[in-house]
Parts: sequence; C-alpha cells; structure tokens
Amino acid sequence: MENLIEITIDNQPVKVDPSENIVEACARIGVKIPTLCYLKGISKNASCGVCVVEVEGAKSLVRSCVQNPTPGMKIRTSSPRVLRARKTAIELLLANHPTDCLSCIRADSCELRTVANLLEVRADRFPGYKKYPLPDTTSEGIVRDDKKCILCGRCVAVCEETQGINAIAFTGRGARTRVATFMDRGLAQSACVQCGQCSVVCPTGAITEKDDSRDVFGALQDPKLYVVVQTAPAIRASLGEALGLPPGSLVTGQMVAALRRLGFAKVFDTQFAADLTIMEEGSELLERLSHGGTTPMITSCSPGWINFIEGFYPDLLGHVSTCKSPQQMFGAVAKTYYAQTAGIAPDKMRVVSIMPCTAKKYEARRKEMDSAWDWWRQKDQKLAGARSFFDVDWALTTRELARMIKLAGIEIGRLPEEDFDDPLGRSTGAATIFGTTGGVMEAALRTVYEIVEKKPLENIEFTQVRGFASIKSAEVVLGGSPVRVAVAHGLSNARILLDEIRAGKSPYQFIEIMSCPGGCVGGGGQPVLSSIEKKLARSQALYTEDQVLPIRKSHENPAIQTLYKEFLVEPLGHLSHELLHTSYKARAF
Amino acid sequence: MPKVIANAKTQSLESIIESWKGKNGNLLGALEQAQQNDPQKYLSETTLREISRRLNVPLSQVYSVATFYSFFSLKPQGEHVIVVCRGTACHTRGSLVLLNEALARLGIKEFKEEEENSVTSSDSFATIRTVACFGQCALAPVIMVDGKVLSRMTVSKLVSLLEKLKKGGEV
Repeated sequence: MENLIEITIDNQPVKVDPSENIVEACARIGVKIPTLCYLKGISKNASCGVCVVEVEGAKSLVRSCVQNPTPGMKIRTSSPRVLRARKTAIELLLANHPTDCLSCIRADSCELRTVANLLEVRADRFPGYKKYPLPDTTSEGIVRDDKKCILCGRCVAVCEETQGINAIAFTGRGARTRVATFMDRGLAQSACVQCGQCSVVCPTGAITEKDDSRDVFGALQDPKLYVVVQTAPAIRASLGEALGLPPGSLVTGQMVAALRRLGFAKVFDTQFAADLTIMEEGSELLERLSHGGTTPMITSCSPGWINFIEGFYPDLLGHVSTCKSPQQMFGAVAKTYYAQTAGIAPDKMRVVSIMPCTAKKYEARRKEMDSAWDWWRQKDQKLAGARSFFDVDWALTTRELARMIKLAGIEIGRLPEEDFDDPLGRSTGAATIFGTTGGVMEAALRTVYEIVEKKPLENIEFTQVRGFASIKSAEVVLGGSPVRVAVAHGLSNARILLDEIRAGKSPYQFIEIMSCPGGCVGGGGQPVLSSIEKKLARSQALYTEDQVLPIRKSHENPAIQTLYKEFLVEPLGHLSHELLHTSYKARAF
Repeated sequence: MPKVIANAKTQSLESIIESWKGKNGNLLGALEQAQQNDPQKYLSETTLREISRRLNVPLSQVYSVATFYSFFSLKPQGEHVIVVCRGTACHTRGSLVLLNEALARLGIKEFKEEEENSVTSSDSFATIRTVACFGQCALAPVIMVDGKVLSRMTVSKLVSLLEKLKKGGEV
C-alpha cells in the first residue's frame, strides 16, 4: 500500500488508507464503531448519528461513516462524550420505535436492538408521538412496517443505486418523514420488483419477507396432503450460516436430513430442474442462433429480473428465454410426471420450495403458473379436481426455513448427511453453480458446447464468467463460429447491457442476468447482516461442491435423460412447451 | 372545470415540462410552474406522472420532492388559498384566533391542528392551510392570501378581506 497516512486512533499511532472512511480505518485496527445507517458498499447517509467519534480540533463530533482520515488526525472513538452522544442518538430513535422486540421477526438479528444493548440503553428516555399507517402487505414477497423504520435510508439506497428501481423514497419532511412508494400506494402497485435486497439491508424488522412458514407447517400436519420440497442451489451454501455456522458452510446433506425431520414426504432438489432448464434453454439458444431468432437471448431464472424487464424494458421481452425458472419447471414436472408415476392425486400434492429469494413468492403466484392443473384437466378432469392449483404452492426463503428448523429444535450441525430422494433429487455440478453469478452461463456453455461439437469439453470451468465483477464477458467458439456471452448481476448492471441492446449495439448472443448482486448467493431471501465477503464465501462453497460431484454437466444427468425418454420426449417438444415454457407481458406501475 | 380549460391545461403542462428539460433544478421548477398553471392549483397524479416521464425522474423521487415542500399541494385547492402561520411568534400574537375565524367563516368544521394541514371549503371557494413559519416573525401574526403576505393581521382585517374576496374582489 503506497499512500498510507499516519493518524492516531485512541492514542495509538496507526497508518491508514485515506480513501476509506474512519469506520473502515478503525475496523482494520480492531476498533468496531457501531453503525446503523452506514452499510459498506450500500449506503452512508450520516442520518443515524450512531457512528460519531471525537476528532481533535473539530468543533463538533464527527460522523465517521462520511469522514475520511486526514494526515495527523487524532481520533477518539470511545470517550465519554462520544458514548453519551451515541446513546442519545439511539434513545431518540427508540422514542418512536415499538418495544415489541419479543415478538419481532428480527428479534435475534436486529441491529437497532444490538446497538441499543451495546450502548447500555436501559430505559425509555423520550416519549413517542408519531402515528403510523398499518404495515404494507400488498406485495407477495415483502412486508413493510413503517413503525419499525428508523429512516436509515439503506433500503432507499439499495433500491436506487444497486438495483436502479426507485420503488421507494423518503417522503414528507421533518417528523413526518417516511419511506414510501409513489402516492403511498403499497409495494404491489409500485415499481418494486420484489428482489428483497431492501429486506437484507434493513437493520430492523421494518422490511421483511412475507412469512409463509405457518402455512407450510399447517400443510405438513395435514394427513390428507402429500408435501414435497425442493431446495434451490444457493440454500446449501447459506442455510448453515443462517443457523449460526460460519459463512460458506456447505450443508447439503444436513439440510436434506433437516427437511425430512420437518416432515416432508420427499426431499427433492431444484437443481434437478436447473439441469432441465439447461436442456431447454441450451436448445432454445441453439435454435435462435441457427434460425435467426432474436439475440442476444437472456436467461429467465431470476424472477426479480423478470419483474424488472416487464416493468422497465418491455420492448426487449423478445430477448428473454421462454424457459420458466427452475422453481417453476420443478413444480410443473413434480405435479405431472412425478405425481403420475408415484400415483399421487395431484390436488393432494403440495410443492414447497426453499429459495434464496423473495420474488420467488410472487413468481409462484403468477396466474399462468398452473400448467400441471391444465395438463391434468386435459387428461382427466376428475383427477385434476374442481379447483385450480399452482405448480408451486409456497416459496420459503432461506430465513424462513432457518426459523422452521430452529422452531423444530433441529440442530443442523449434529445431523447426519442424507441424500436427496430420487428421481427429482438427482442433479449435477452444473446445476449447483446456478446459485452464483455466472453459474447459469457456465452450466449452459458446458452443455451447449458438447451438443454442437459432439465431443467432450476439455476444460469445463469457464473462469471468465466467475467472480463478482459487475459485468463479465467471454467468447466461445461453437461449430466454428464465435459466440459472445455476458453476465450481469444486480439490476443497475443489467441496465447497461439492456441499453446496449436497445441501441442496437450489443455484441453478445447470450446474456445471463441475475437480479441480485452476487446472484442467488446474494439473494433477497438470504441471511441478513450480509457482506460481500460472506457472499463470496457462499459462492466459493458452490464451486467446491461442483468440483467434487461425479457428474458436472446437465445433459449427463441420468434422471433428466429418463425424464425425456419416459415423458417429455425432447427439448422444446410439445410437452415442454406446455409445462416448461412461459410468456411475459409489460407491467405498468 | 369546463372541458376547454382541461384541454388547455394538458397542453401547457407539456410545454412547461419541456421548457425545463436539461436545466438545473428542473424538477422543482417544473413542479412549481405546473401547480401555478393548474386551474385547481395542485399537482394531480397525472401531472406528477407526466413530469416523471418527461424529465426522466423516477416516480418515487417526484413524489418525494412534491411531499417535502409545503408549497406543493397534492389535493385540489380552492379558488383562494389562505395560509395561516402557526409558528411560535404568530401563535403568541393570536394566529389561532385568526385560523378559527377563517375556518368558521368558510364553514369548515373539521380541521386537525397539526404542524401542517390543508382543508378546502365544500364550495371550493377557499383552501386554508397552516405552515410552521414564514420567517416574518417580527410582523406577526402573518397570513398569506393568494400568494400575498399580509402582516400584523387582525380578525377585523381578515373578516373584511374575506368579504371582499366573496364579492369577487382581489387581495
């Protein structure tokens, strides 16, 4: 490090990087300054006043999240004056904050509660006076409760800057300031794509996932129902963390065991459907390339991303693959092929999915996602039942599953590793890496290459599309001609690629877009108190699992081969179109 | 409103917004001019959407700015707008009496005394609003009628002003 400067922190001379703020400089020497509105890489609003420090010569206390060190600066991070100011800041925030911590969904992960306790706030010092509207429960994926909001602005920052959605902003002024949507209409009618990034960064219980775990517990207790579960790739790399294990802990086998103990009749894997997605999407790509279809083709796995393009770039919907996401492909196959093979009445079957995502809850409720019911109706009206049913009944986030496991008293670290059930639990390494940015692209390339070239791929790891760079690109030669591919994660990055397409200047034929930064490992349903380091650890866990799996290419999955032989016949075939493909439409807000 | 005027309003809204394009402070400027030009002196949802679309500012941010400034009204306002200052100086010099007198004379029964509020009489004759402070404390109590600041206001002055307005006169 070249440009280090000398400063003093709590009487200790240290060398620090002046391009980082005082919070980070202190963190590097082991001094942790509490913060509420500041979140590295997301927001620094200097609004909460918790991170104040004393700087010699400065008139007032300095908010360390927005001040960088300067040469010779003398900083005191825990003087009585500092601690008093921090405590007052929290006491003021608590004046209008409800004290229902015992029953709050964020009870054990609330940053406000943690900081209040840390600063030894022991009594309600100031009376509250604010009145709040009822919680906004209009959205399928996310619930916003104003009365728990401390106006830190993290959600506004992540929605505006990271995602480029601007569904919410500060409205009003002074004591009447609130975070709200346009005309205060509720998230469902706003620009919100339900990616849930706001629910990951919220320090309190003001923004949370819509909790469906009670319904799932209910279904599991109902002897008339046959409840199966599917788990998204990213869950195995984050569930352990949500249950207190180190970030990046891979708990595939224990997760399966825990789900069995919760009472699921079959524990299946969304990765099976991810392999199926590769078969369909890979074939669709080759079809588009060889028949002059619309390119670049863009992946369709991420429902936040689908909500985004439907709302912001509806003119480009022709570029999106018609493939349903793995979650929805799974639901459609489970309630047709599997129900039929196993002799389960389709209307008595329930499919629960465990997803890193809040937008998956909305996706499962899209009204066109009832293909299995349509299929049964055409086949046998009686078996289909009188009432329509969704392909996927409930999508739970990583956080909800973690709470269910804790509630059931299951200690995941002490469980044996168990295997997924056949056949919808069989998958490959290609499917595992779906859970991280670049993974779908890499999985698709592994399969598409071998279909076109009709020979084994020498090096199956496409490292150019790995990692957390905002946009990654690569070129592969397929059948003698170069195919250019790109990967974007986070919707602000997606905009860059979409604007290129709109301007007719896109050099690519195939693009992967994931709504959340880091891909599904950074999804809106993942553990809170997250950081880029934690997301990278989760991502690395998935690549590690891919490396040790015996089969690493989707088209070599024997269960997928059987599915085509016994049921679907061929990729892009008639039945595939009925069950595995969908269409999109413009969304107004 | 007669149809002709409604059409004229849309026309001018477009040209107002276009005239602000690319300029510094275009959002505030467009909002202000749009409200002034509106026959009901307010920013309708249609107006906000049009400003958002033409200036390429997200809806939530347009709403954010429009709700921040007490000058902006998201509800139709009456023919006349009476703003009563409820700051400390004006309060001690009787602004509450002025407010209550105006409310009574306009037949407005429900008015919640909050920091800022706005109610329009049922015949749309006038809107009464309160604000925190005009910054004219030395001249308290202060009210603003149709954009004109009137200082050292008394009940009798207010009553005769209201009567003048009712007869079609100006401030």
